[in-house]
Amino acid sequence: MVRRSSMLITAALLVVLAFSAVAGANNDTLVIASGAEAVGLDPRLETDVPSFERINLINQALVQFATNMELEPTLATEWTVSDDTMTLWFKLREDVKWHDGVPFTAEDVKYTYEWVLDPANGALNLGLYADIEEIEVVNDHEIIFHLSQPNAFLMNNIARMPITPKHDGDRADFRQSPIGTGPYKFVSWTRDDRMILVENEEYWGGRPNIPNIVFRAIPENSTRLLAFEAGEVDIYQGGMVAQEIGRLEADPNYVVQRTPGTGYNYLGFNTKVGSLSDVRVRQAVSYLINREGIVTNVLNGIGTPGIGPVSMSLPWFNESVHIYDYSVEKAQELLDEAGYAPGDINLRLYTNENPDRMRIAEILQYECQRAGINVEVIIEEWGAYLARVQETDDFDIFILGWSGQLDPDRAMIRQFHTNGSNNYGKYSNERVDYLLDLGRTVPQESQESIDIYREAQEIVVREVPYGFINYTEEVGLHHPYIGNWEVHPYGAAAWQDAHLMTKNK
Amino acid sequence: MFRYIVRRLIQMIPLLIGVSILVFLLGHLAPGDPVRMLLGEEATAEDVARLHAVYGFDQPLPVQYFRWFSRAIRGDLGVSIRQTIPVKTLIFERLGATIELAVVSVIIAILLGIPLGLFASTRRGTLWDYLTMIVSLIGVSMPGFWLGLVLLSYVALNVSWLPMFGRDASIMGGLWTLVTQFRADELINSFRYLLLPAVALGTSMMAIIARLTRSSMLEVLSKDFIRTAQAKGLKKSVVVIKHALRNALMPVITMVGIQFGAMLGGAVVTETVFAWPGVGRLVINAITQRDFPLVQGGVLMMALIFTLVNLLVDVCYAFVNPRIRYE
Repeated sequence: MVRRSSMLITAALLVVLAFSAVAGANNDTLVIASGAEAVGLDPRLETDVPSFERINLINQALVQFATNMELEPTLATEWTVSDDTMTLWFKLREDVKWHDGVPFTAEDVKYTYEWVLDPANGALNLGLYADIEEIEVVNDHEIIFHLSQPNAFLMNNIARMPITPKHDGDRADFRQSPIGTGPYKFVSWTRDDRMILVENEEYWGGRPNIPNIVFRAIPENSTRLLAFEAGEVDIYQGGMVAQEIGRLEADPNYVVQRTPGTGYNYLGFNTKVGSLSDVRVRQAVSYLINREGIVTNVLNGIGTPGIGPVSMSLPWFNESVHIYDYSVEKAQELLDEAGYAPGDINLRLYTNENPDRMRIAEILQYECQRAGINVEVIIEEWGAYLARVQETDDFDIFILGWSGQLDPDRAMIRQFHTNGSNNYGKYSNERVDYLLDLGRTVPQESQESIDIYREAQEIVVREVPYGFINYTEEVGLHHPYIGNWEVHPYGAAAWQDAHLMTKNK
Repeated sequence: MFRYIVRRLIQMIPLLIGVSILVFLLGHLAPGDPVRMLLGEEATAEDVARLHAVYGFDQPLPVQYFRWFSRAIRGDLGVSIRQTIPVKTLIFERLGATIELAVVSVIIAILLGIPLGLFASTRRGTLWDYLTMIVSLIGVSMPGFWLGLVLLSYVALNVSWLPMFGRDASIMGGLWTLVTQFRADELINSFRYLLLPAVALGTSMMAIIARLTRSSMLEVLSKDFIRTAQAKGLKKSVVVIKHALRNALMPVITMVGIQFGAMLGGAVVTETVFAWPGVGRLVINAITQRDFPLVQGGVLMMALIFTLVNLLVDVCYAFVNPRIRYE
């Protein structure tokens, strides 16, 4: 008797379990597995890609980057930049409402930017907008930005600043539960677990096809991939398990999308102290970067060999700069010319605990050894490493990467201008300074702008303040039943058009 | 007993102050600046200086410490620099998940570990003994993240009702619906999510308990009072369970207490592999981000829990072994 009743209980339990397992699969909810949790959801405060992936569904900027990296209308329908790049005029959409029903106006735009520009608010990105001197509201749907100095590329920064509502933006918990104008509304957020969004039925761009979106934060790449393969999530996002990409691409059950990204990885050289202050030694080391080998073996083919600072997909890219094809002979010639015998040069190469960077460091150490350069690889914890690179000149080489290099100004002025805020290797060249300053004063669509940055790239590649390792690539992985989604070159913009996506499982 | 507990609680105060000073110094003297971590690779010198002033990092260290301490003793652990959310909120919203995982792991470890150790000790030198000890050696040696991934790839991927990651309703919530609405589905659901992480976390502890129980049992079984009990003609099971095991459990309790305390501090690896939203991940992320208030608050909390669990263990001794009295 006892045995029979316990069997019944077991059977009942199994039925319950079976039902609860099936409940997850439906076409009304898109589940996105993300490698990292958002820090917060206030566009004025966040700086990280995972936060902006989510923010861009809820809040929107005046303009946004299309997948071909051209600016397209969002909350602004039209805009003009004056010839001296000092005045920006915007016409705003008139049919936009905040998620709580309040109409969106130029006052919201003014409020957002003034909030960011007020140092007391501690906005980390203040520097991107510091050239805005005054914001003039012409009427509810027209606004003018007056700059204090020319900045032809400010438009690209404006595309990165979603507008927040004046009537709600000062709420204490806005950062944890924002309202916006975007296709999805914020519902709830259990940190390090899930964030739930629901469709904005009155979205000005049309009602979303998929009513619900759930972001799941799964930090471990292998677990995320297993959850994706088990069908518990629809889209895999974040760091790719590189060894797996070949298998996934070959499998018809999955769709792998790839597109050139907007970042690059590089060796930073100390151009002021030690043997690397000689340009020939820097060129020699650049010849010793086995770019093909690194992309194939360390990055498993995700990325392309580096050439210069400007990404190949941008119109400013200069394809005729010098190419440092891997060559031990050329490196040795340059070292001879500089008067160094094998074994004369000892370099300290720093990196953090990033596995890819550590392997790149080992490869470089080996290749340098072949040309008679001794390289000592020193691995530091991230905080200590950043402090060393940013605050001292106590290094010869470091490995870092840039992401979101959406225009040549962003990819060069902070890095290579004598006064650049991120010129850690203390590189200095008068002509480069002149060109980078000049570039900001010419409209970014002009041929003159292209000529300026082509010349700047040529000098920078010749003088090697950086050894360019590789350009990044963005990878999107999803099930074939997901439609109308294209992987975006700029990671933060991944979901900005999610209302068009479809799911037919 | 009551006076003993009160005395122990008072003794915790200087300990916790010491911990807080140590954590504060370790954080602030280690290279790496929270503002730079916040700003990332694109930091400008002006931004760094501006934010230093905003967060008060431009003040001398003792000033910063006393400012923090004077708030902490009033229960205000400050606000996370990175997330601008009160540290207390961040910790408490994850504490449930951490306690749940730790408690179930310990239960699994005890329920399997003690019988295994008992089994091996009563069959000393036989094939069964060796087999059990080999199994437990493997259990001790397996790295947690590896076991976790093996469980995911071979168990969760094939058994569809076991989810791959995350956490659903809490066990307490599940119990509540069971009691109030007579529905077991929520409770079962939370166990579905909890099972694999708890097995992954509990395995090494189970193995340690098995080994410790065995060696402790062997020692006790060779004592004179056991021979007396056997000579009295008591049944073997009575001798082993009532006389031997009770005495052999003392070191096991100590070990369980220490391990349990450590688990409550967060099982970072298991939490990461199973995307379990626990305290460990929170504090580790805070450390890499140099989010000082969160690190200080988190470590202080862990120290508090750890010492409380230790006190609990000491109290347990008295129940297991009536010869121990606390005055």
